[in-house]
Amino acid sequence: MSVHVAAVGMGRFGKRTENQIDLAAEAAGIALEGIGRKPVDLLVAGSMMSHGPQGPEALLPRLTGRLGLESASGFRVDSASGTGGMAFHAAVLALESGRFERALVVATEKMTDRTTAANTRDLAASLHPSEVAAGATMPGLAALATQRYLERYGRDPAILDAATVHARSMAVRNPAAQFYRKPVTLPEVQASRLVASPLRLLHCSAISDGATAVVLERGTGPATVRALGQGFDALRLIDRDDLTTFDATRTAAQRAFENGHLSPKEVEVAEVHDAFSPFLFTHAEDLGFCPAGGGPTALERGEFALDGRLPLNPSGGVIGRGHPVAASGLAEVAEVALQLRGEAGPHAIARPPRVGLAHAMSGIGTHNFVTILGAEAP
Amino acid sequence: MSDVPIELSRCEGCRTRFLPTDGPCPRCGSSDVRSYPSPSLGTVLASTEMTNPPAGWAAPHRLALVELPESVRLIAIVEGPLPAPGTVVAVRLDGPVYRAVSEPVA
Repeated sequence: MSVHVAAVGMGRFGKRTENQIDLAAEAAGIALEGIGRKPVDLLVAGSMMSHGPQGPEALLPRLTGRLGLESASGFRVDSASGTGGMAFHAAVLALESGRFERALVVATEKMTDRTTAANTRDLAASLHPSEVAAGATMPGLAALATQRYLERYGRDPAILDAATVHARSMAVRNPAAQFYRKPVTLPEVQASRLVASPLRLLHCSAISDGATAVVLERGTGPATVRALGQGFDALRLIDRDDLTTFDATRTAAQRAFENGHLSPKEVEVAEVHDAFSPFLFTHAEDLGFCPAGGGPTALERGEFALDGRLPLNPSGGVIGRGHPVAASGLAEVAEVALQLRGEAGPHAIARPPRVGLAHAMSGIGTHNFVTILGAEAP
Repeated sequence: MSDVPIELSRCEGCRTRFLPTDGPCPRCGSSDVRSYPSPSLGTVLASTEMTNPPAGWAAPHRLALVELPESVRLIAIVEGPLPAPGTVVAVRLDGPVYRAVSEPVA
């Protein structure tokens, strides 16, 4: 049974005054308007930072109440920063079961009203307790992986700066991005303070508020679901053989490409989860878009630009769009759907794509999701 | 720095050696896991200096990914200056965490 993305609701990411239910309702409203308010019989929603003073633990009932979806069925999913990707996959599988006609998928996060210490602590909840006990944080572990990458391929940290400049140059065109019309230069990135050497502040995703929604329905369209794949990796970083690659991405990609009888060469636009700028390269390599270690060279050659061989993160990615953690994984799918549906406006890639791939990552590459959308029915 | 052995785990099923964990063998899932003493000198694979450590840690907080013999890895809190990749360090267990100190160059 075919399922397609019928509408997208990209709320604006950044510092917002609204609470996360308001943000979710805003994104959902845009998506529901996009289908002319046709009835929805399934709601799948997710949020990571769910234990705040706003009482968002009741995410589903609060949303159904706000959106008038009390007659629908619902599931809440949780996969840290990959929550949005997981929510999309769960909704697709539910529709494919034949039990539902139309699903609203929403992922939302409210972070800027919390202290940096609280966000750091709660983001680290997706890491192994023994590593957290040593004072490891997401940026700390990402820094270790980044240093391994630089050593392995004999690269200069300047490649990290180039990845940030790429992300921010894409976000400049995206009104929903936190860094809309806010480009940065290489010297500005190099001058930002060290967070976890060699990672500087502008190599790290921003703390953001935001929500994304999509409506999935049975049938086909320009953004039909062509393939899904997911993969796990060891939660303890030390149990992984190689930190220059994410096995969870490789597994998810292999399964998705097999599932859809597709190859990386057929992908014409992609959104990857660059929570830290060097991950742009790791993900591009793990997804088969360039050889291992070849990401920086592909970027230098302009292959990832809007008019390049494979436009990568035309939304700005996690670095440029901002990172309301649960929402990012769904924003990645939403961006690919917008590109395929010809609705990306100022951030549309040069050649209208037929096949696009979205990649979402939970924690430090612990549970990753690959979604392939395309024009042709499976 | 004296070389006091540290306790590691070996899977009797697939022979993988790993840092003790509360679960089964991270590679094959076997529960037949034995402890053994390992030399505590290892090589730094990567290291980082964090300027904003979590609450309770002084800044800067330095961590190293260290490889012991038999390719067993651990993350250790660095005491002293940040060791570059390739540096040999002595590792010891201190409560729930490992700590690493650079070995003097012979």
